[in-house]
Amino acid sequence: MDVTRRDFVKATAIAAALAAAGGSLATLSGCAQGGQSAQTTTGESQIHTAVCRFCGCGCGVLVETRDGKVVSVTGDPDNQSNRGLNCIKGYYLGKILYGPDRLTKPLIRDDAGTKGTGSGLREAEWEEALDLVASKLKETWKADKSRLAFWGSGQQPITEGYLTAKFWKAGLLSNNIDPNARMCMASAVVGFMNVFQTDEPAGCYEDLDNADVFITWGANMAEAHPMLYSRLTAHKLSGDNVRHYDLTACKTRTSASADKVLIFKPGTDLAIANAIANYLIQNDKYDHQFVADHLQFKTGSENIGNAYEDGYDQSEQGSTVDATTPCSFEEYAERLSEYTMEYASELSGVSVEDLTELAGLFADPDLRIMSLWTMGVNQHNRGTWMNHNIHNLHLISGKYGKPGSTAFSLTGQPSACGTAREVGTFSHRLPADLLVANEDHRRFTEAIWDLPEGYLDAIAKPGFHTIKLFREMSNGNIDFLWSAHNNWAQSLPNLTRFLGMDGEHEGIYNTFIAVNEVYPTVTTDYADVVFPVAMWVEREGQFGNAERRTSVFEKAVDPPGDAKWDVWVLMQVARRVLEGETINGEDAFTHLFGFIWDAQADGFIGDDREINRAIWEEYRIFSNPQLKESAAAINEEKKLKMEAKQLAPYDEYLTQHGLCWPVREVDGKWMSTKWRFANGDQAEGFDEVGIAQYGTQGLAGDVSWYKSTDQKPSVVFRPYEPPAEEPDEEFPFWFCTGRLLEHWHTGSMTREVEELNRALPEALLYMNGEDAAGLGLADGDMARVTSRHGTFDIKVSTSGRVDPPAGLVFAPFFARETMVNLAVHDYYCPLSKETDYKKTCVAITKA
Amino acid sequence: MGLSTFAKVCAGAIVGAEALLVLTRDTSDAIRPPGAADERDFLARCIKCGRCIEACPYKALVADASVVGPAVGAPTLDVRSQACRLCEDLPCIAACPTEALHPLQGRSDVRMGLAVINRELCIAVKAMRCEVCYRACPLIDEAITIDYRMREGDDIHSVFEPIINTEKCVGCGLCVERCPVGDPEPAIKIVRDRDEAMLLIEEEQAKVVV
Repeated sequence: MDVTRRDFVKATAIAAALAAAGGSLATLSGCAQGGQSAQTTTGESQIHTAVCRFCGCGCGVLVETRDGKVVSVTGDPDNQSNRGLNCIKGYYLGKILYGPDRLTKPLIRDDAGTKGTGSGLREAEWEEALDLVASKLKETWKADKSRLAFWGSGQQPITEGYLTAKFWKAGLLSNNIDPNARMCMASAVVGFMNVFQTDEPAGCYEDLDNADVFITWGANMAEAHPMLYSRLTAHKLSGDNVRHYDLTACKTRTSASADKVLIFKPGTDLAIANAIANYLIQNDKYDHQFVADHLQFKTGSENIGNAYEDGYDQSEQGSTVDATTPCSFEEYAERLSEYTMEYASELSGVSVEDLTELAGLFADPDLRIMSLWTMGVNQHNRGTWMNHNIHNLHLISGKYGKPGSTAFSLTGQPSACGTAREVGTFSHRLPADLLVANEDHRRFTEAIWDLPEGYLDAIAKPGFHTIKLFREMSNGNIDFLWSAHNNWAQSLPNLTRFLGMDGEHEGIYNTFIAVNEVYPTVTTDYADVVFPVAMWVEREGQFGNAERRTSVFEKAVDPPGDAKWDVWVLMQVARRVLEGETINGEDAFTHLFGFIWDAQADGFIGDDREINRAIWEEYRIFSNPQLKESAAAINEEKKLKMEAKQLAPYDEYLTQHGLCWPVREVDGKWMSTKWRFANGDQAEGFDEVGIAQYGTQGLAGDVSWYKSTDQKPSVVFRPYEPPAEEPDEEFPFWFCTGRLLEHWHTGSMTREVEELNRALPEALLYMNGEDAAGLGLADGDMARVTSRHGTFDIKVSTSGRVDPPAGLVFAPFFARETMVNLAVHDYYCPLSKETDYKKTCVAITKA
Repeated sequence: MGLSTFAKVCAGAIVGAEALLVLTRDTSDAIRPPGAADERDFLARCIKCGRCIEACPYKALVADASVVGPAVGAPTLDVRSQACRLCEDLPCIAACPTEALHPLQGRSDVRMGLAVINRELCIAVKAMRCEVCYRACPLIDEAITIDYRMREGDDIHSVFEPIINTEKCVGCGLCVERCPVGDPEPAIKIVRDRDEAMLLIEEEQAKVVV
């Protein structure tokens, strides 16, 4: 990329900002030189715009390069969300590229018996590695399609996820593709889909600047969403009587600055939300007009049990969990009536007084309330139900639509929304909220992919969701697994089973495993082939964050050594596997990927920018059906309303530093929608174009849910049902896992950064002081944590950084030497299939 | 002994004593284990037996490597490499045979020094979400607290600035060990003399850092 004048001006500003920021430039350039070749740095600097590699906040950053090396990464002062700021991970972001252990050569394991031993991989050339993976995939594909799978990620850039899904769904006709976002956001997704028939929050980050009350539901935003918490705090400090209620099972750093902390017994959040809803109805404090104009009411399957057994999904209980029945408002109210404040208080341990205070907030028509939640609600054995219950509260109280009044699910990963959810890299999905099981959706997808009508009927049945996939693998029923942008051998629950350490489930040793990676991980230790790939700004890509904002990160430097872009790897494998296959009489590979790949020259048609733009422009047809006549006809006839997720042309994202969908073209200018379904001026971020096209004006709150069935979101009654396990004499503690600020997920990148590793070098078991004393454990002692599923050793901390109540302990999952997931159970929400990482029951002893 | 010789010896003794003073004066700001009083008291009692060094489970205590002087071999800490972890049972004090490390009621009574933040180096002061020292502190929310305030000229971000509570900070140095800033030096240090530390903290707080 050439340095434009604007870039130059920016570079100067950045240099000044950097000097003010304490010289991370000097540190980083030292690192780049030390870790790589000692080039002279006489070349000119170039600045590239990018997005942070880590969490769902999606902070903008500027990457400065010189002589082919990243020499600094700083917050982008032009980015209206983070305004040049970062958390500590973002501050040291550039250093993740230059860790000493970077993978630069393909690796092959010749003896599967060496899996898990820390050795057994040898360096190889690309041809050998690609041929091996392609032949194993093709062999499995030809023999039994149910025995192959791809496990992707909410960290996979959008165009890469799109191509992977296209290869898997249209190329291999397989639905065995699922992302790690299943373990992160699936409950939120199913909640949004069930309630609104469209995924992702209606609001945006600007809601944080407009709320009167914040409620965090089991979310440690202060650590897991650092810059958004800075924004929330700023609004509290600047606002007039802005309050923050932290509802949590465990005091965290978020509780430390909340105005009120309500500690509830794990799982009873369901009852709390129902008690508030009941209070509003019993006291006639709900929003009558909102209910009349907007809502439909339902009941759903109850007593749905838990996935203790592998066959749960097929059981009578498991196979009917999605069923709902319409009911009247009165019937809904009747079902709620059992949830008195006294009953909720008894279940949850929160006082009637505090619950009533909370209900009083929803009862006040003048207050703007913003609910925020993430893993505490999603990683929950009734995660989908709890998502429902939060939406229910906001809907019946009319606190939905006005800036500052919304139910906003925070997302964990940088592109869980953009890639996993919007592209749809799930076992049951097609791009843009479409479902494999829906015939109209398959026809629409076939139209865009130029497939014969009926071609995708072969994938009408969803494939394996994540836990099903790994349970099948552990049972010896998966022959080929390919994973990218994740580290499942550390991040999955129930690793004692999945890593074949229980003496019973040893399938992992017989599954051929290919892994795209940038550093050695626990997962590469189980891989048969490791593909070294480009990391972050070593290629161009796109992330979609929690507020539906799509941003491009530009390529700044080449990948090191023999490392290659994931798309190159995918094309090389796809070309080999699809050799000899045809679609419509044309070579199948060329039919699907000929628009970016020259089969004769065996290479890309164009550079990174051109390839990304080409993929984007095809993907964009899904939300701009008018771009293709056959797609437009189906959209119209079947009333798919695909424009509800409208995306802009690729270059708009570059010139405008990211846009929130639906992006609308008004008088030749592409504009974000910040508040979906809220009527108002498009130029100010309201959903003017969408409502004019599909919605209704003049309804309560001036909102119109035009994508919902009958334009009415569904309030579904969801009762309290207990957690999958509850403490008993043998396993008396709740064990909860999660992230902490200094490290990203399994630490495979952040632990390569000296400063971050120094900042938090070890994973600790945070305990209540009295619990520890009762077990004869002092701060710093080693403890052994044992569940019904596995065991691990960990050092105890009673410092209070995480400050659990008696009976609950917490540990982060970033440290590979402290594999907490060996003990975590794999019981999932029966609707979303997302695992409950927060409520395993454990025993603790002195190690 | 002639008068001149006597004078020479006296002069030599004075020079020697001064040299010794020069060599030993430095150790008054060395960080000593929990229970140590001021340097004079500590050095008068410490017999350099090394038992506290052996007792420390974290190998935080090391023998003072001064070349000469009364502090040679006495226990000290380089908190940037390995801070005191404030063991609940304070095994170093229990091991000390001479009360060079005076018995204490508990870890909150330890007084090894006071943490002082260099606000020009601290990235949290610049509104980055760091606060590593605060979260690392064994006495979190007591010895280090957060001053939440609006970021100047920015209505959507706040500063989370770590503040040392001079009453509660025991000087264990875990904040120094963990501080991610290292260039040119960590943004936080332990100053043994509490009066001196308090003056420094006041000076830092008076600085206008943007």
